[in-house]
Order: sequence, then structure tokens, then C-alpha cells
Amino acid sequence: MDPSKKVADRYLKREILGEGTYGVVYKAIDTKTGQTVAIKKIRLGKQKEGVNFTALREIKLLKELKDPNIIALIDAFPHKGNLHLVFEFMETDLEAVIRDRNIFLSPADIKSYIQMTLKGLAFCHKKWVLHRDMKPNNLLIGSNGQLKLADFGLARIFGSPDRKFTHQVFARWYRAPELLFGTKQYAAGVDVWAAACIFAELLLRRPFLQGTSDIDQLGKIFAAFGTPTPSQWPDMVYLPDYVEYQYVPAPALRSLFPMASDDALDLLSKMFTYDPKARITVQQALEHRYFSSAPLPTDPAKLPRPTPKSRPSDFNPQEGPTVLSPPRKSRRVMPDRDRFEGNSNQVEKIDDHVGEARPAVGDHAGKSDQVPMSVDFSIFGSKPLSRPTINSADRSHLKRKLDLEFQHND
Amino acid sequence: MAANFWTSSHFEQLLDPEEVDVVHQLDKDKGLTLEEFKLIKMHMTNCILKLAQSVKVRQRVVATAVTYMRRVYTRKSMSEYDPRLIAPTCLYLASKAEESTVQARLLVFYIKKLNSDEKYRYEIKEILEMEMKILEALNYYLVVFHPYRTLAQLLQDAGINDMSMTQLSWGLVNDTYKMDLILTHPPYLIALACMYIASVHREKDITTWFEELRVDMNVVKNISMEILDFYENYKISDERINAAFSKLDFNP
Repeated sequence: MDPSKKVADRYLKREILGEGTYGVVYKAIDTKTGQTVAIKKIRLGKQKEGVNFTALREIKLLKELKDPNIIALIDAFPHKGNLHLVFEFMETDLEAVIRDRNIFLSPADIKSYIQMTLKGLAFCHKKWVLHRDMKPNNLLIGSNGQLKLADFGLARIFGSPDRKFTHQVFARWYRAPELLFGTKQYAAGVDVWAAACIFAELLLRRPFLQGTSDIDQLGKIFAAFGTPTPSQWPDMVYLPDYVEYQYVPAPALRSLFPMASDDALDLLSKMFTYDPKARITVQQALEHRYFSSAPLPTDPAKLPRPTPKSRPSDFNPQEGPTVLSPPRKSRRVMPDRDRFEGNSNQVEKIDDHVGEARPAVGDHAGKSDQVPMSVDFSIFGSKPLSRPTINSADRSHLKRKLDLEFQHND
Repeated sequence: MAANFWTSSHFEQLLDPEEVDVVHQLDKDKGLTLEEFKLIKMHMTNCILKLAQSVKVRQRVVATAVTYMRRVYTRKSMSEYDPRLIAPTCLYLASKAEESTVQARLLVFYIKKLNSDEKYRYEIKEILEMEMKILEALNYYLVVFHPYRTLAQLLQDAGINDMSMTQLSWGLVNDTYKMDLILTHPPYLIALACMYIASVHREKDITTWFEELRVDMNVVKNISMEILDFYENYKISDERINAAFSKLDFNP
């Protein structure tokens, strides 16, 4: 195929950037704006299930999330039977910055990167969207140095009380302790914990808590912050997968981050609070004095970035942590689980969706305390269909009455 | 869903009734009247409901599917986008968007079970192709707000906990999807209008509660009137539907 062929009468196709989670990503020029873009070609599912579910989730949320610190979905179009998503082109990602040994990150640079991360996240949370997959290679960096949250394939709208979610989200190293203990009623705090891990990673220049299994992940967390006591986190013992860990005292946070400022440490400790209810919110984190005290965050355009390679930025080769954890019903303690490690993200994403397809059946059974939301009179009613709720006789009577009332308002 | 309605695409996309009640030129050329246009949408709403009952999805999914269908017909003609294909495909897409996916083959199985008329019996392939076209017609906006959640909160706030009031207002909200109200009014106002009608019908005086709300009661009253007008004109018969469809099916 001619590599510079115009797609959808608008995009000049350039080189392939690589393979994303659900299809090929290639670079292109938008002839309408002259802008360089990244186009994700969404492979149609093999099971004849139309537009990929994860892609649809991403489209749905990104159409609602327009913010300087969130990747922009510029366009979407069908072409030759496949759906194509057009994103702004991003040069690199935060993981590449952190890993690049030639880059020196000053305290002001770190502040700038984490501030942009939190700003993007704050916007999501304001719109009641949980990202659920925060990690450095999902934080893309544009040519002007702007950091943007990407990969909303796992994101969910939250806010309904008692809504049950799967705990199998996030790459393990960024997973909050409540998720590792199997909670299904988590909230925005899980993203805060992940952001804290990213903050720590910026300071240390290596992933902070590199667990090799979920059990080990909790062990690493407790080794860093001490085993949580019930007074620190009262709800912990009630979590589905809670297991008692041997008590380890917390080392001084300062000893883990010798180079960090007092303000940075204070913010970090508030973001790493065990009890999700007591954990700082993203908005509060942004208002923390760390961001207003010297040194002020570096102007994004002046941030150090890796020398641009052909390395694609819109997807990630599966290095770094894998996300696999045992199927949702099984207990955490499971020998041999690690041999599944090779399976990577994708499996998990599918799992996630299968688990959620029918939340009402298993999870809610016997626990119907929330009356009106799930009661569906039309579906379960005896004669639900074409029969209107009010008949004509009612109607004229009502209409007269309606007219009478509130007449003083006219 | 508790996401913020005021900053949503749903809010931005609210239309004036005059924009919704427009028969596409292609359909007009075939002689389709505004009445028939509305009738077909109402009939297809019922079809979506029936299908949804078979595949057992939440009311939310039904409401979203109907909203998608109604949005499609503010932009596309029924001649080119056959309602009998659009309706099930909207249900299919809505089930995905609302995170309770229904398999396409299950949907097709029930379509065939429910419809003996060949014209309704579409195959998986056609649904999947149409899914893409619907996404395009919707301009990829998939998040839709509904009055249900607000209704539950409002009922609670008004201190109404008897089942008959709840059921009646809930049923009224369900019926509003047979109209285009969801395209023209914010969901909370639809919820209020339904509560208002229910309160008058059940002779429950909650006027004081309404007056304390910071909403324009005239708007609520107007919506209530629209709903009652709908009940007055609610005449759906196979003959009328067949007549409307035969106009659409006619290819000169």
C-alpha cells in the first residue's frame, strides 16, 4: 500500500509506530490542520463482537474529557471496515524520561511533571472518571513538554454509591493496598496512590515498589510504610482478601527518599495514606504547599526530554510490570500464580469486562438495600410494554388540575 | 451515573423541539409525515424494550439505546437508516457503552424469535456494520444522562417513600422515552415533571417542596403538559405503523 495514501480524505499516512493494545498505531499528518497525529486502527474483535469494547470505553470517556493534561481524541472514522481513532501525536512518555540516564531531573522538573499528572487526574475526578491505569508509560509527553494522561481503556465512571468494580486494575506496582486486598468499592483514592508511586518513581528514578506478586506487592508496601494498624485503617480487616501480615515498623520516610524536600515528603506521605478515606484527594494534593513553595515547577516547554527516537509513544511494549492477578473469586494466596505472568495487560482487560458484564447477578444477590435505582418497573412489571402509565381519562382530568395549580406563577 | 451533567456532551447537545421534529428530506419525499415519523420512533422504542426484556439488560441500557436511536434520527433519514436495524443496533451499542455487553448473536436470536416479519430479521453482520455507522451518526458521543437516578434522589428529598408514588413517577419516566424529551430537556427536569404529574394524580400535595426548589416551575409544568399531550395522542396501531413503513419501503 502506498504509505502516503490519504485516509478518510484527510490523513496522510506515515510510518507505523507499533502495535497498541487493540490494533496498529501509525503516524499521520492531518491535512486539514497540518498537525501530526497518531492514528489507532481498532482491530475488530475476532468473536464477531463489533467495535472493541475497550476502544469504545476510551472513545466514550475521551469525548467527555477535554483538558490540556488529557490526551485529545481529535477524530474518529471508519475506514475499510475498521474504526480509526485520531489522537494528537505525542513524542514520548514519562517512563522514557525516568529511564533515560542522560536526563537529570531537578526538583523543579519533578514538581512540574507530577503537577501535570495531578492536574490531568483532577480533571478526570471532577468528571467522575477513574483512570485506573496510572503508570509512567500512560503519561505521554508532547512536543511542548505538556504531559497528558492517556490510555483510558480501563477507565470507568464512578460515583454511584455501592457500585461494585473489579479490583483487577492497574499495573501491580501502582496498585493501592485496598485493591490488593480485593476491595470492589474503591474510589478516586486508587488513582492517588498510583500517582504517589509515580511521584516516588520520579524521585528515585526507578519503580518504587516492585512487587513480584500481589502478596509480595503488599509486603513491599508494608516494608516501606510499616504494616498498617487497625487504628490507621479501620476498614482493612473487612476487605475480601485481607490476610494478616507480620508486623513491620515503618522506616523513616526520609531514609527512603534522601534527596526529597520536606514539602515533597509531606505530600508523598499524604498520598501514600493507607486508609483510602483519609488519603488526600487530587485537588487537595494540588493545593499542597509543595507546589507553591520554591523551587516553582519548571515551565513544561523547558523540561528535559529524551532525544526523540522513532520510539512510539502511544502504546507500550510489554515491559515493566504485568497486571495479572488471580481471577476475581480466588483468594490472594495462591502458589504458582506467577507462571501466568506472561499474559500481560490484555488478558486482564478482557477479564475486567467479563467480570462486570452482569454485576447484578452474583454480587448484589441478597443485598438489595438500594431500592429505587435497580427496581425497574417497566421491565419487570406485569404489562410493561405499550400500555401507557396514565390513560386518556386521567389525562384530561390531570391537565385541568395542572393548569390550575401554579397559575400564580404566570 | 453521577458524572457532571452540566459539563457533559449531553448538556451541550440538547436540542430545541423544532430541531427534533424535522422529517428528513428523503423521508418527506416518500410522503412520510411528522406524525408517522414520531410513530415509528415510538414503535421502535417499544421494540427496543421488548428485545431488552428478552436479553435482560438494565433499564439504563434501554434508556441509552432509545436516546441513541432518537439522536440518530435528528441527523439521518429513515430511508437510509432502517429503523428496524437501527433499533437493535442501538441496543447493542448501548449495552457496551453501559458496561453490560450483550452478545450480538444473542440479540439476533431474540430478534428472530420476536419477529416473524422478514423486514425485522437482520443478521449479525448487518448489526455490526450498522454499529459503526451509528457511532458516526452520534459523532461518537456516547455518555447519556437519564432521569432515573435524579428521580430516586428527588423522591427521597421530598420525603416520598410510598411505593405507589415511586412506581407511578418511575413508570412516567419510562414512558417519556416514547417521546423525544430526553433530547430536549435536562434529565432532572424530566424527573421533576414526572414527579409533579404523579403527585397531582395521587393527590399528594408537595407544592411547597416544589416551590422551595430553585427551578422554574413553569418549565416543569410545560414538560408535564407535553407528557400529558403525549398520552392524549398515544395511539399506536399496527395499521398505522405498517402504513408508515410501507411508505419508507417504497422504492420508485
